[in-house]
Amino acid sequence: METLLEMRNIVKRFGNLVANDHIDFEVRRGEIHGLLGENGAGKTTLMNILYGIYQPDEGEIIFEGKKVRFRSPKDAISAGIGMVHQHFMLVPRMNVFQNIVLGYRTPHDPLINQKWVEERVEALSEKYGIDVALYEVIMNLSVGEEQRVEILKALFRDIKLLILDEPTAVLTPQEVDSLFYALKSMTKSGLTIIFITHKLKEALKVTDRITVLRRGKKVGTVKTSETNERELTRMMVGRDIVLDISKPPREFGKEVLRVEDLWVRDERGNYAVKGVNFSIREGEILGIAGVSGNGQRELEEAIAGLRKVEKGRIILDGQDITNKGVMERESIAYIPEDRIGVGLAPSLSVLENLMLKDFKRYRKRFSLDFDEMEKRAMELIEEFSVKTPSIHSAAGTLSGGNIQRLILARELSRNPKLIIASQPTRGLDVAGIDFVRRRLIDAAMKGAAVLLISEDLDEVFQLSDKIAVMYEGEIRGVMDRKRANYEKVGYLMAGGLEVTV
Amino acid sequence: MRDIITPVASIAASLVIVGILLAAIGINPLEAYAVMFTRSFTSKFGLAELCVKTTPLILTGLAVAIPLRAGLWNIGAEGQLYMGAFAASVIALYSNLPSYAMLPAMFLTAAIFGMAWAAIPAVLKAKFDLNEILSTLLLNYVAIYWVEYMVYGPMRGKEVYNFPYTDLFPDAATLPRFFGTRFHLGFFIAIIIAIAINHIVNKTDFGFSLRVVGANPKAADYAGISRQKVIIYSMLLGGMFAGMAGMIEVSGIQLRLRPLISTGYGYAGIPVALLASGNPLLVMASAALFGFLYVGGSVLQTTYSVPVSIVYVFQSLIVLFIIAGQSLRRRE
Repeated sequence: METLLEMRNIVKRFGNLVANDHIDFEVRRGEIHGLLGENGAGKTTLMNILYGIYQPDEGEIIFEGKKVRFRSPKDAISAGIGMVHQHFMLVPRMNVFQNIVLGYRTPHDPLINQKWVEERVEALSEKYGIDVALYEVIMNLSVGEEQRVEILKALFRDIKLLILDEPTAVLTPQEVDSLFYALKSMTKSGLTIIFITHKLKEALKVTDRITVLRRGKKVGTVKTSETNERELTRMMVGRDIVLDISKPPREFGKEVLRVEDLWVRDERGNYAVKGVNFSIREGEILGIAGVSGNGQRELEEAIAGLRKVEKGRIILDGQDITNKGVMERESIAYIPEDRIGVGLAPSLSVLENLMLKDFKRYRKRFSLDFDEMEKRAMELIEEFSVKTPSIHSAAGTLSGGNIQRLILARELSRNPKLIIASQPTRGLDVAGIDFVRRRLIDAAMKGAAVLLISEDLDEVFQLSDKIAVMYEGEIRGVMDRKRANYEKVGYLMAGGLEVTV
Repeated sequence: MRDIITPVASIAASLVIVGILLAAIGINPLEAYAVMFTRSFTSKFGLAELCVKTTPLILTGLAVAIPLRAGLWNIGAEGQLYMGAFAASVIALYSNLPSYAMLPAMFLTAAIFGMAWAAIPAVLKAKFDLNEILSTLLLNYVAIYWVEYMVYGPMRGKEVYNFPYTDLFPDAATLPRFFGTRFHLGFFIAIIIAIAINHIVNKTDFGFSLRVVGANPKAADYAGISRQKVIIYSMLLGGMFAGMAGMIEVSGIQLRLRPLISTGYGYAGIPVALLASGNPLLVMASAALFGFLYVGGSVLQTTYSVPVSIVYVFQSLIVLFIIAGQSLRRRE
């Protein structure tokens, strides 16, 4: 197969950080090339350079045999490169048609040739098996549909190379399968795909070759058919880490949390949680699997006291806390999904963030006892190994993993009876994931009740005693971990009904 | 270190641009700045005037800085100042309190009226999320015209030859002056308040809550900090200081109530607070800088017949540069 793209000796620095350190990267025409690495390995930076978002400090790019220099995504697009970002770049209030033609000159420009666009979209949909409702507003689409729009938008521009940045992060297992199917059919018609991921299984399943990056450097390129999970792990993290965690058995104590027929509205006033029931006992972890946006956020916020309950009851430790303030929920630890937006005041110091909930305890007459607070903060960053230059550094400057450690330090050190952990390892590297999961298991073994909300099925299966699936505001089937399997849970996550399993 | 760069660069850039403006009308800017400087700092009267102008600016600077810490823009210090001045004047002219109680009573009512004026936008913000920039700004006009109405009508004095003034305050209602200048007790009061508020902001649990709400309101909700309480208290504190500034102006300088008691001190509080990035101790320094601009502006007017508006140009430039600097830093 001929070479379509070559990136030679690419160097990109951000201040003192070398995000890409002399990387050579070569892609052949018609292949699916996996770009694998942990968070912060430099995958997205490398692709942003290719797509013209960043300019490389050193190195050169050769595309279709010619040396090229992309000053902006516009240059990259006109050369035939498309990119679907991890966070979609669609205009929510516009419909699919408008999003597709946005920034594109149809024949008879400046008028939009509607018929021409419709025919073209139809031809593309048929060729690659990507279905979209052309006149639906983006806001009303599911995440999977939005992704299809993004892909279609790229294909519409006659691209030869498609970059997908972590495309499966937001999809159900079934949607992942259909995405992979579409990708394979695209390569059959000559398209080349770069698939950025940090998930080994997916890389092994869909790619032809895999390039692994680690800390800004290229580790190597391997043929997918000649490698395995173990080798890729070693390449990715530099040592063998097998995430072999599971929760030891334990007797469950008395009931800590009981949720009865809970109804909660979202921002737009629609019911996002519809009549949810469950309970969790001491020492027990209940894992709620499900694709984001099915009411998990509203559920966790209602239990944490940040959102009004319309109907139903929340009973914590025998006391009805429905619609009581956050202060009446001292014994709840809450690790929110949106760590930086909710769980952290990024411009304040590590010290202040550690004391966010407890500072009032340090009141000494008219002042706060900052010496005591600092002492406690030092203990906490030691115990939870939060890596920070100082406790006075702004918390927002820490890495993602350390931010999560900081939040865990604050929440778990308060001896909670109930822990709500929402997507606790999303975006963390292997070491961070390992740390967070072990801490949650420890806390449960010491007697806390844990409500784990996660999209990551591995995580749900590793940690939970009981597994439930949340779909469109309802809890579908609470099952014992021993009776659950990936297929069953994946089926429920995609909206399947329990009775038909 | 980088916290210093933005304000210093903003001042320098404003000096350069005002200098260009001065040069354009045929005045050597270096010479003009030198005159401003020597006249303000080398005589007893210059220094006294500097302190006199700095005093209300410290208080209005705090009136903006405290809500700013909670992420709120108090554009209403001017109106709160007027309401404070009005309240103090009513006590001074009509209360007939014994002289030892007069000044404390004026202080108290001025503080309360300033707070009450700030309470309106505060409650509207806390309960209905009404934009505080608009409500505080608009209430300024109400307060200013209210004072104007009072001095043209009900409160007009008997010995003022039909000018829109009240009568002069009785002696017991004026702040003691020193050194045969206009330098008065209010200066020390402002400094004590700034130091006290610095303690409150940095060392108390209220100050902690204030910082959290300002840094991330969602994190405040998450931590169980009442955002509504913080919004209301910080605005009340701000209104209180602006009200006190009004009392100090009528009782220390004007000695009566009249229109235009403030030459924009309430608005100047905004750049004062911004330049100090909300830090109460630095507010004193930046208030002194702006006090110097006021004094220097009148020096320019008497020496070169440059309209005193040049001071407002300078103020506005500083605000623009600080905001530009902050957004540049965010982009990095």
